[in-house]
Amino acid sequence: MDERSISNDEQSAAPRRAAGRPRASESAHGSLALLLNLVRSGVATTRQELEIQSEMGRAVVTDRLATLLKLGLIEEGELGLAVGGRAPRHVRFRPRMGIILAAVLDHSSLAVGVSDLTGRLLAEHHEAVELAAGPEPVVQRLATLFAWMLEEHGSEGGIWGIGLAVPGAVEKPDGQRLFAPALTAFQNWDGFPFVEQLATLVGAPVWVRSGVQTMTMGELKSGSGIGLADMIFVKLGRSISAGVISEGTLHRGAQGAAGMIGHTFVEGGSLETIAGSEALTREARQAADSGRSPYLAGVLARTGEVTVTDTGHGAQLGDPFCIDLLGRCGRAVGEVLAPLANLLNPSLIVLGGAVAETGDILLAAVREAVYRQSHPVVTRDLRIVRSQMGGSAGLVGAAQVVAEALFDPRFLQGWITLGSPREHPEFKDFLARAAVDTVTRPAKPRPPGGSLA
Amino acid sequence: MAITGLGPHGERAVPADQVGLSGADADAARKRNFSVAVVLHTTVSDWAKEELAGIVATLGRYGAAVVEVIDCAFDVDRQVAELQRLATEPVDAVISIPIGSARAADAHRAIAAAGKKLLLLDNAPTGMLPGKDYVSVISTDNFGLGQIGAELLAGHVAPGGTVGVLAYGVDFFATHEREIAFRKWMATHRPDLSLVRGKFADVTQAKAATAGLLQGNPDLAGLFAVWDVPAAGAIAAIRDAGKTIPITTVDLGNDVAADLAAGGLIKGIAAQLPYDQGVAVGIATILGLLDRQPPPWIALPGLGVTASNVVEAYQVVWRAPAPAALLRARKPRKTMP
Repeated sequence: MDERSISNDEQSAAPRRAAGRPRASESAHGSLALLLNLVRSGVATTRQELEIQSEMGRAVVTDRLATLLKLGLIEEGELGLAVGGRAPRHVRFRPRMGIILAAVLDHSSLAVGVSDLTGRLLAEHHEAVELAAGPEPVVQRLATLFAWMLEEHGSEGGIWGIGLAVPGAVEKPDGQRLFAPALTAFQNWDGFPFVEQLATLVGAPVWVRSGVQTMTMGELKSGSGIGLADMIFVKLGRSISAGVISEGTLHRGAQGAAGMIGHTFVEGGSLETIAGSEALTREARQAADSGRSPYLAGVLARTGEVTVTDTGHGAQLGDPFCIDLLGRCGRAVGEVLAPLANLLNPSLIVLGGAVAETGDILLAAVREAVYRQSHPVVTRDLRIVRSQMGGSAGLVGAAQVVAEALFDPRFLQGWITLGSPREHPEFKDFLARAAVDTVTRPAKPRPPGGSLA
Repeated sequence: MAITGLGPHGERAVPADQVGLSGADADAARKRNFSVAVVLHTTVSDWAKEELAGIVATLGRYGAAVVEVIDCAFDVDRQVAELQRLATEPVDAVISIPIGSARAADAHRAIAAAGKKLLLLDNAPTGMLPGKDYVSVISTDNFGLGQIGAELLAGHVAPGGTVGVLAYGVDFFATHEREIAFRKWMATHRPDLSLVRGKFADVTQAKAATAGLLQGNPDLAGLFAVWDVPAAGAIAAIRDAGKTIPITTVDLGNDVAADLAAGGLIKGIAAQLPYDQGVAVGIATILGLLDRQPPPWIALPGLGVTASNVVEAYQVVWRAPAPAALLRARKPRKTMP
């Protein structure tokens, strides 16, 4: 199920007619789904506008709106402007009819959030996590935090969906299966029915995406990318990857693995081994040990470790080693981004992640390399900025993935007459399969290197 | 003590003692004579007075004048109105503690939109972003405070008992973090205990909320109150019910400190250091005004207080000699043979 970041609402709201055959919208499911999406997207909010946009008759529109009102999906709003005759009554979508839960798992932290049905975040929480203990405590922890958030921000319709972001690529599920496959992002997790357990514990469908893809969606929805159709988000952390929005749509690639730019070769090795946070930390530690960086040597003596964040502080305070290290890192990132800019002509490149947060020296080096190696037309209006959303980008994006998936016309038709996506037959099937999977698949993760048998 | 919590956007904390001004920054600030307004939820609590003292003293040191201090009396509408007014006033920066997460967000955004620097205490309303909407959040490590509250209570609860959380039923990041951390610590270290929850929306309801918890859970064997004022209500409710139940809480207020020292129901307190926090706020404000970009999440560790260190902790937190009641209860130092 693809995200349609900007144009989905308009596309799904547009009536589709197959000549000589009955329209999908002539079935109750189809017409209800069409009208709900017209109202939700704001394309049509009065009965007259809905009749025009949907090409349905007055009686059908009135009947379907009554059903949507009864299901609690829309409500009567204020009076509109009268243009000859009675003033029309607006109808509007009820974003608090259900809630969406979002979770972002990373190598050392997890984040949870709750949003309304438009994907607007209502609350968020971040905490450190020990992934070494395996997937079972993590799934339990998510369920506990979700239960707490539900108590604080619950709605009459309960939880409608969960968006989950994980490090690394997430394969697209095959055509037969609507929901995501087992996670392979963490060592030893392959084979553990993580998504199935989470869906079973919370009782709602789960959509899974890679962390960088949800961060890209979040940056587009609430960050520097608001209103844009072509942008690149780059996550500079332990791993380096990119999310691409092209003409309003997130590009996921054939296997869902688009954007793995950390594997691109630059002088000295792959980009990740030059500019990833582990590589930078290693170099910083060596400089602290040898005394090449007086600032980092001081940090090491005081705290017993040096981090990428320390390198950023050192650069801001004028430490020559830190300035040189982050400058080299920025140039390497810029050299990999320049071909992407030439290929895709984005209007914005956003840098996020721990390495991007080190400050302006890295940002300046990235800009210099991109501007130097790109066609002048490509860089004429190109902005390169640092993300200001931090860890919130992934949460906003994960909630947005769910908000769009729930109202995707194909999925919406499956649940709209039942009142809640939790009643969708495919989700019910998924839960039934999950119950079997949880029993038959290994309760504990496999050891590295596969089964011992 | 290490800082265990993450910031409102998942940021790793930069400890307050690592954020400082260089001599050149200090000179630059003094030449510019900045004007700063402070918006607090209340100005009458001990916490607020000490916080303000730290802010005012630090800003004064760097040539900045505190031109207005506003007491919102816990009223979010009042805060919204005052922030909207301040956005049009000739102040360079505003320091504010957001009262309602969602409702106060737009009024806070108006400060940055007017070209002024905004510094936040304790929490950032959901959706507001550092760099764009505000400079920094400066806070005690509330997650750590919840962990301290759990750790100090655990030793007073027998295996298999029921423990209550007296929670604040308002969308407030700081108290939420304390509660989440308390629950997490208990689930990890005392999985034998069952947790129940009572909620109050206003501190005047804390006594009734505790009474409700006691009625629903006659076997209640411990309680964590998310700050000291509701903890005082909880003490009253437990005494009314004729019970003796150990309590831990947050903030070293006079009433709970006296109860702790006298061997009452309070068994432990996770204290904040409001003066130190005020100093950190003052430094971050000057850095922000000089466009020096202080870290988005600056945190201070909490301080665990029990009957054995309450006098010393009182001196550290309030920078004043402990009251006679605390000193009387202090155990005499053991003399070495």
